[in-house]
Amino acid sequence: MNKKFFVLSLLLVMAFVANACGSTAAPAATEAPAATEAAAATEAPAAGPVVLKIAYSSTIDTWDPIASFSTEAAYLPNVYETLLKINKPGSAEKYTPVLAESWSVSEDKMSYTFNLRSGVKFHDGEPMNAAAVKASIDAVKDHGAAGFIWWSVDNVEVVDDLTVKFNLSTPQPIDLIASSMYAAYIVSPKALEAFAADENFWADGKSYGTGPYMVEFYTPDVEAVFTQNTEYWGGWEAGQYEKVVASLVPEATTRQQMLEGGDVDLAERITNENLDTFRNDPNYTVFEEPSFFNYVGIFNTLRAPLDDVKVRQALSYAIPYEDIIAIGAGGLGTQSYGPVPAGVYPWDDSVGQYTYDLEKAKALLTEAGHEGGGFSLKLTYTASNASEEAFAPLIKDSFAQIGVDVTIEALSLGEQLKLARSGADAQDMTLLLYWPAYADAAADNLWSLFYYTETPSWNLSYWNSAEYNTLWDEGSALSGTDFEASKEKYVEAVKLLVEEAPGVFFYDTKAVYVIPNTVDGFEYNLNYPFWHFDYYTLRAAK
Amino acid sequence: MRIFEFIFRRLLTAIFVLIGVSVITFFLSRVVPTDTAALYLGTKARPEDLERIRIKLGLDRPVPVQYAIYMGDLLHGDLGTSIATKRPVLQELTDRLPATLELLFVGMFIATLIGVPLGVVSARWQGTWADMFVRIISIVGVSMPAFYLGLLMQIAFFRNLEWFPLSGRVDADLRFTSPIDPITSFYLIDSFLTLNWVALKDVFLHLVLPAFTLAAYPIGLIARMNRAAMLEVLSQDYIRTARAYGIKQWIITYWYALKNAISPTLTVIGLTVAYALTGTFFVEVIFNWPGLGLFTVRSLLALDYPAIMGMTLLGASGYVIINLIVDLLQTAIDPRIRLK
Repeated sequence: MNKKFFVLSLLLVMAFVANACGSTAAPAATEAPAATEAAAATEAPAAGPVVLKIAYSSTIDTWDPIASFSTEAAYLPNVYETLLKINKPGSAEKYTPVLAESWSVSEDKMSYTFNLRSGVKFHDGEPMNAAAVKASIDAVKDHGAAGFIWWSVDNVEVVDDLTVKFNLSTPQPIDLIASSMYAAYIVSPKALEAFAADENFWADGKSYGTGPYMVEFYTPDVEAVFTQNTEYWGGWEAGQYEKVVASLVPEATTRQQMLEGGDVDLAERITNENLDTFRNDPNYTVFEEPSFFNYVGIFNTLRAPLDDVKVRQALSYAIPYEDIIAIGAGGLGTQSYGPVPAGVYPWDDSVGQYTYDLEKAKALLTEAGHEGGGFSLKLTYTASNASEEAFAPLIKDSFAQIGVDVTIEALSLGEQLKLARSGADAQDMTLLLYWPAYADAAADNLWSLFYYTETPSWNLSYWNSAEYNTLWDEGSALSGTDFEASKEKYVEAVKLLVEEAPGVFFYDTKAVYVIPNTVDGFEYNLNYPFWHFDYYTLRAAK
Repeated sequence: MRIFEFIFRRLLTAIFVLIGVSVITFFLSRVVPTDTAALYLGTKARPEDLERIRIKLGLDRPVPVQYAIYMGDLLHGDLGTSIATKRPVLQELTDRLPATLELLFVGMFIATLIGVPLGVVSARWQGTWADMFVRIISIVGVSMPAFYLGLLMQIAFFRNLEWFPLSGRVDADLRFTSPIDPITSFYLIDSFLTLNWVALKDVFLHLVLPAFTLAAYPIGLIARMNRAAMLEVLSQDYIRTARAYGIKQWIITYWYALKNAISPTLTVIGLTVAYALTGTFFVEVIFNWPGLGLFTVRSLLALDYPAIMGMTLLGASGYVIINLIVDLLQTAIDPRIRLK
């Protein structure tokens, strides 16, 4: 009985396979090349909506616009909007009003009043008003990962339905903060309530914003599908995409193949080594723009010999900056002027740079009483960062030439930070890729990386300079009242940083985009470094 | 009944196997130096938030206590929450299981359908050019790394010939033109059941390259195994007797001989199913196939230990079950093997 059953079922399975192969394999083998092309050319536009297909590498860590503080910023700004948008550097106007139509600041700079756009509705139909703005900012201050950007806001006051007032504890540029890519989205109060009741509310991809696109569908690790918000206050015109399919493709070579094969219209992050193919192809335009990101190496100044400024300066002279940019970034980078990325406030080239000069390095070491080096350092970098992995050995080689021995260790970022925060047991040099939370590197980079605090968070150098802290405090105090004067203070602070060298400032990375001629309307805005593609501005080329 | 007693006993031992696996994985994943709270909150979390999350995730407690809590939750069907996606691990696994199983089934089908006849041909015409050819195919299949073969397939059949799509389970446009109704989440079956021929063709085309890449290793192994077993059987007395009776050669080879040779081959097929499950790790990454392999690789890189635990337990269960099925199949085919 057993045997018969087995044979029977085997036969059934075979029959099914034979059937399946017979009906599908045969036509597929003969028709496939012609049929797929024909289908792409004729069927798709006629049968379906106008779809923009993009291959993304950015992961979606959360769909919660309040909690967001990671690479999901590639998608969220298409769904959620802020009060203001900060334009790219060099624009005539600094801001574009979005959900606020206009704004003003009080005489004493202690309050900002925003007049909201009327008639705007969230995706769930709720009206966008002063109460919604207050609820969003209160929520993000309460539990947003980047909620700290609102530290100077004492309270948000609903003046009337369309007027909202931010009362400050100390003057700060609230217009700049309100345009942040993190922690500044205005979200439907209904969603905030729902999240309060259910922690997993955002897990499946929802949209409760005011933006031009809504999340239609989300399959983790596969794709996110966005569809037009037909009620969008900005209106729609012909040529804009009705649907956007964001395929999540972690492999860079696969993304590139998809782009070249026409499987997608756009692709994020093509590896720098492969750019020449596109540079030489008239069907593509390659954009190389300044970015928000830079690489820094932080010295632990607690112990000898790195507690000696001369030693730190010597090591800064022993960094082969050009080689590092060539190896780490495929040449797509520029040597940093301090910890502020080029193009971001308060960048200024008057702060100076170190050159690669081994003779000077040796002389400085001798001056410091370390003739011929003779000490060893432990350097750590983030294991998942391919650039750091590539250029860390260059530092080792170069330091060896001045007699300094380097041990390199790759750690996860979390482990690297934990070790660096352990004080006297910490590594001597920590390589970091850093970027500011919003378009103000003074409020972030200068403070986070080098402002001395008793327990370190990101200020891993333990460098304690009262002069630097004072300069920063003065700059920060002025930032809400006199932007130019505050920049002067900050530039002075960075000059001190470069002089005292508690860290090495390697290079600012470049943002690279490969855009096929089939897509129009791509515009790069340095201030939203994760928002690679603004679906609303893109058009299918005629 | 003997057979149920046998199954019961095997399942009982399986539980101990799984407990052992869970202990090893759990403690290993805690030995790896990492800051789970930092992974949970992302790179720029504040120290005070990290502390809060440590307490929320129970990371402040001793590891044995954490293990006891984990096992307690496991008994209620709760595999914890993924650190990276913040969704229940069980949901993550069940969402992705159909994609992997579909790839695995089709891959193993191809492997069996090609591997077994290759072995037969090779044994039947031992020492001829056909044998040589099959042996070369076997060696190439077994020794070619899946990630390399996958890339070669993509270059040949997507880039140059443009026969098959590059990656994924379906075309992105399909959602808007002829969407698949996910009845079983096995897309071949779903599109077949709903008579959605456009989708069926699309799903089939997407399956070809990854399934063949996955099948390469099992094809080689099955062909080699089956060749060896067939050679042994073909030299037996009863085959000579059958020949003497004037039974046609192809009936002797494919029925009388293969029936006896298939038993050891079946064991190999069973074990390669388990192997192919790990093979999906590479294949899924290369073809961006949204299954368990892709999820596991991502979880491993992110040190997402609840997801790693869940995947390990699932894989171990799969291994145990496949072994059980192979044993049962063997007794069904070959009555000489008795259940012990």
